[in-house]
Parts: sequence; structure tokens; C-alpha cells
Amino acid sequence: MPAVIVALYSVNELSLFPGPHSFALGGWYRLFHTGYIQLFWKSAKMSLIVSALVVAAAYPLAYFLALSGTRRKYVLLLLLIAPFLTSYLLRVLAWKVILGEQGVINTFLVWTGLQANGHALSFLLYSRFAVMLVLGYVWLPFVALPIFVTLESLDQRLLEAASDLYASRLQAFLRVTLPLSLPGVVAAFLFVFIPTVGEFVTPSLVGGTQGYMYGNQIVDLFQNGFPDWETGAALALFLIGVISVLTVVFVRFLRVGEAQAA
Amino acid sequence: MDVALSRNGRRIMRVFFALVIVFLYAPIAILVIFSFNKGSVPTFPLSGFTLHWYHQFLTNSDMQAALETSAIVAAVSSVIAVGLGILASIGLSRSRFRGKGFVTTLVLVPLVVPLVVLGISLLLLFTVLGIQLSILTIVIGHVVISLPYTVLILMPRLGQIDASLAEAAYDLGAGPLTTFRRVTLPLILPAVVSALLVAFTTSFDEYAVASFLAGPRQTFPIFLYSALRFPSQLPQVIAVAVVVICLTVLVIVGAEVWRRRVEARLEAA
Repeated sequence: MPAVIVALYSVNELSLFPGPHSFALGGWYRLFHTGYIQLFWKSAKMSLIVSALVVAAAYPLAYFLALSGTRRKYVLLLLLIAPFLTSYLLRVLAWKVILGEQGVINTFLVWTGLQANGHALSFLLYSRFAVMLVLGYVWLPFVALPIFVTLESLDQRLLEAASDLYASRLQAFLRVTLPLSLPGVVAAFLFVFIPTVGEFVTPSLVGGTQGYMYGNQIVDLFQNGFPDWETGAALALFLIGVISVLTVVFVRFLRVGEAQAA
Repeated sequence: MDVALSRNGRRIMRVFFALVIVFLYAPIAILVIFSFNKGSVPTFPLSGFTLHWYHQFLTNSDMQAALETSAIVAAVSSVIAVGLGILASIGLSRSRFRGKGFVTTLVLVPLVVPLVVLGISLLLLFTVLGIQLSILTIVIGHVVISLPYTVLILMPRLGQIDASLAEAAYDLGAGPLTTFRRVTLPLILPAVVSALLVAFTTSFDEYAVASFLAGPRQTFPIFLYSALRFPSQLPQVIAVAVVVICLTVLVIVGAEVWRRRVEARLEAA
């Protein structure tokens, strides 16, 4: 019975997706013929880069915490994750203050004489760079968590065995640790990629026109001047489609991994 | 030999870790510094100490109304989400029925749906049903967002509890409700509190979905978002930001300490 209530909730959001596009295919036509699809690739590329960089940065952190035998690893982990628990908007706000033309970095540079007055570094705010930097900043603490969990549950005896068999540290890492932690890495990657590819808050606050993303387009189709809900729904459905495919592929990948390990 | 890291590797890692921590906390520190800065724009050099911005936000009625709305939405939606989460978790972990895997997936689906899509689909739903946008629609939206998190927190805890405890309670003549109140609930209490906190903070900070579903009353994130577009309000907003961040940290640390204590006591018992 409780499960039914919950199921109804979930179905509620899902059952409406097919609605809009069953009337006409105009929205879908526009999705593929008016530049929306290019915008999607641009957003996908941006969040691919962000996810890859963030995972690459978080991996050594998680590795250090999980395997170096530091005594205070949980305190350090909490220190790492704590920023994620504070308000998302406020962290974006902080970067807006830092990166702006009259912001902390630029005025600091002028003040210290490193940069001539009136030559503000304008690429800092309202750019693709700003969007990617802020997204990376926002998601980094969160990504370390799944990687840390997989590395921590790793059987340390495997590493000792590798070293007994004369594997160097690098070999032990490449042949034992990395493959075994791959599910955590892929999960972490998806945890960043899925929310960032549909992101619209960060790009609209720090992205300007250059950092405009697919998510902004969806919002604009629903909220601004000339709403076009049909096209907006098609865009949203397309996003859901891509994400479902990714998730299914990921789950398959995990199953194959488990089967091999067994 | 330490297999994981050489001594130099460890040193490098330590430095890298410290750098990342600086990178993560510096922006927050900058907010704190500028919240006390006299100038009306956050620029270097700093121009003197003031509490003016804190005072100003205390007298800003729009901001207070928004904070109040958010507090109500967060409180109501977290209680509903946790209530449903408890029911769902008990249902999913105790009983076996056909399609259980499917239902579990269904409950967790909102986790992988981007918030924009969640927002517009709820907006479509309410429009089709002819429901006016109001504080209630935001509450529903936030319940949908936080429900999967509450289930993810509660399920493992329920799984740890010995099922024979509930059976023993039945044997002693307790009805299902009494069993839940006297046996199950006290055992899962720490998880319930964690779930409440997560749901509350998620809702309090949620902008994307709320922006689609808000009626005439603004929530705090919506207020913040629009205030970010007016530079004159920036210093006040920074001051509020500092207060909100401090409160969050306090609540989270406090809850964590409390949870560890209760869990230690439960382990001991």
C-alpha cells in the first residue's frame, strides 16, 4: 500500500511526458532543425569536460583518504564534503563576487598593480570558463564520496598480495586498485554529468550569452516572452532519453563488472 | 612497504588535498570578509568594518517573508517526504511482492531526472489538472525531490534491524501501530532525523523546481536569485549568505554529533 502511493507519485511525473508530443511532431522537428541539437552538443561537451576534470581531481583525494591510513580520514572527508551541504546558490554567488569585472580578482590585480587600471580580465565572468569553473567547484566535494566508498571497501589484502608478487606501486594501482574502483568512478562521473548537462541556474548567473546551455533553452521555452511548451517538452524528453540510455548502459556495465569479479 | 603510496607520494597528496580544501573554502571565506566590508560593492581594497549590511537585512521585510515561506515549505515538505519515505521503506524492505524491483526503481527515478525536467513536468501536470500555483505546489515538488533521498537513507537502517524484534512484539500482543511506535521507530530514529535534515536542507535551498512551481509567494532561493541581478542589494545578500551558511554548518555538525551519540547508545543496548 505505501509503495503504491509512492509509485503513484513517481508515475505522476512520468505519465505526462508523452502528452505533448503525441499531438504533433512539430516540437521534435524543431529540436533537430533549428540549432537546438547543436546547443545540446555544446552543453554535453561542457559537462563532459567538467565531469572528467572533477573526477580526475577527486580520485587522488579519495585515494589518499581511503588508502593512506590517515587516522582522521572521516574528519577530513567531512571537511571535504561540508561545502556541498551549504547552499548551492550562495556558492554560485561567491564566485560571482570573485570573478566579476569589478570583482575580487580584478580589483585585487589592479590594487596590487599587477594589471593596469581599466584592463579587467573580462573572460572571468559571463563565459564558458566561468560556467565550467563554478560547476566543477560545486560538484567536486560530492564526487569524492562514491569513489571513497569503493576504495574503502576494497580488500587491502589484494594490494599486499600484489606487492608480494613483486608488483610495483604503479602496477598494483593499474592492475588492481583502478579496475576494482572503476564502478565508483563511473558512478561519480554520472553523478556530475546528469545534473550538469541539464543545468540552468549556474549558466544563467555566471554564463552570459557564451555560457548559455541546453537547460537555459528549456527554461526559456517555458517561461520567457513567447512560450513554446511543445518544443520545450520535446527538448526535455530528448534530455531524459539521453540520460536514460546512459544510466542503462552504466547499470549493464556494473553487472558485467560484478559477473567478472565473481 | 606501504603499497598504496610512497613517502613522497603521500607528501604530494597531502599538499594537493590542502590546496583543494583552500579552493573549496576560499570563496566562502571571501563572502564572510566582504559581509563586514563598508563599501557597497565587494572590491579591493577593503574599506573598513561595518555591521550595516547585517542590520539592513534584519529590516528587509521582503527577505524575511521569503525566509519564512522557505522555512514553511521546507518543514512541511520534509515531514511529508520522511513520512512517505518511512512507509515506502518498510513496504519495500519487509514485504515481498511481484514487481518489487520495478517499484524500487520507480521510487528512485527522480534522482536521475534533471531538476529542469522535473520542474516543467510538474508544471505541465498542474496546468493540465487546473491546479493554481501556490505554496502547496512547491511543497509537492519538493516532496518528489527529497523522497528518493529519504528512502535511500532509511532503507539500509531498516535492513539492519532484526526482523524478529517486530515478530516478538507481535507475539507479546502489540498491534502493528504499537510495534512501529515502540520498537521500529526508536531503532530507526537516527536515520529518520538524518532524512528529515536532508529533506529540509534540500528544500530550503532548492531553486530550479521552485522557480517553475512558485505562486505569488517567493521562496528564499527565488528571492536570492532575483536579488543577484540587482547590484545594490548585493552586500545585504552577502550578509544573509553568511548567516545561512553558518546556520547550516551548525545544524549539520550538531545533528552529526547527536546521531553518533544515539547510535553508540543503541549499539551498546
